[in-house]
Amino acid sequence: MSTRLADSLWPACLSALHLDRFLAGELDELAARRVRQHVLACSRCAGAVEGMRAARDEPLPPLRVVPLAPRARRWPRAAAAGIALAAAASLLLVVRTPGERPKGSGVGLRMYVEHGGEVRSAVPGEVIAPGDAVRFAVTTPKKAYIAVLSLDAEGRGSVYFPLGARAEAVEPSGEVALPLGTRLDATVGEERIVGVFCSSPVELEPLRIQLERGIALAPEGCQVTRWSFVKR
Amino acid sequence: MTLDAAAIERLYRSHGHAVLRRARLLLGNEADAQEALQEVFAALLRAPQDLRSAGSALGWLYRATTHFCLNQLRNRRTGARLLQQSVAPAFGAASGPSPEALAELRNLLARMPADAAAAAVYHHLDGMTHAEVAEMLGCSRRQVGYLLERAQRSLEHLEQSA
Repeated sequence: MSTRLADSLWPACLSALHLDRFLAGELDELAARRVRQHVLACSRCAGAVEGMRAARDEPLPPLRVVPLAPRARRWPRAAAAGIALAAAASLLLVVRTPGERPKGSGVGLRMYVEHGGEVRSAVPGEVIAPGDAVRFAVTTPKKAYIAVLSLDAEGRGSVYFPLGARAEAVEPSGEVALPLGTRLDATVGEERIVGVFCSSPVELEPLRIQLERGIALAPEGCQVTRWSFVKR
Repeated sequence: MTLDAAAIERLYRSHGHAVLRRARLLLGNEADAQEALQEVFAALLRAPQDLRSAGSALGWLYRATTHFCLNQLRNRRTGARLLQQSVAPAFGAASGPSPEALAELRNLLARMPADAAAAAVYHHLDGMTHAEVAEMLGCSRRQVGYLLERAQRSLEHLEQSA
């Protein structure tokens, strides 16, 4: 670019990627030695490396999405072993949108909590600690496009599942553990959970916005389940 | 490269700072940068095979961060909000680009063709050579030159129409 935007937006002569690779130990010995020698003689690159090193000292927040994929079947099973499923059935709070589905459609949402390495099935209103991991399991008698959204105590809406922009297909297969868990942040108070079961892959951003604005979710062609937990 | 869940957590601890630093630079907003950090690693958790096939973990993270942040900038709602906000310089006001230049660049990136915007980010914001940009985009150096020319033309067109 010949305009002012092209003027040195990156302050060093070695690229950010090259310096990141150097700091991360990704470069081979010869390349790393060249960088070390260059940085000793170049104040601009030395400044960039110093800034990058300082940034690496900053503590990162916990990884919010918990890597639980290899344990996909173990979560519900582990919880089921210790908890009477008859009692847990009361968790499935199905709210049908009038006229959209016949009675007895049987969709449901259940939440599991990992605290201190132990997994338990949660009940509505359950008290959960910041930093615990939660994971959802769904039941649907036929293929449905599913999403799990939340509204925290500060009014922030977020999509727990899926990661993409639209609800994701789940085939009927008893209770299905959704593939990713979520590590809870430090926001305390009541958090409302909404499970959406749809006949098509609905866009989720409009639903998240509705949730934040306090509009009851009732997307066309969908059933909605609701419950909440308390974080403290 | 073995990428089980524990390996991805370790990668987050060791390389997350680079993602966060670039997301701050590209998005200019702390909350959105934190969201980008989480989303990039969430994508990795979902498809770890993408990283297995990449030559460099940092290269993959750079690509994923660029892709996510440019999408955010293009999102009309997010973009409008971001462009109205002040920005945080990458390494302090003394050594980094000015907040005004970054805000203007974000505005332009949001309106450029996707491939030209990515090339412009790598070359102008990350200081990559044409060869490095070519490796990131999986294209030839000649193609990089073409994309940067295209970015330049977009920039001139947008400046003339402003």
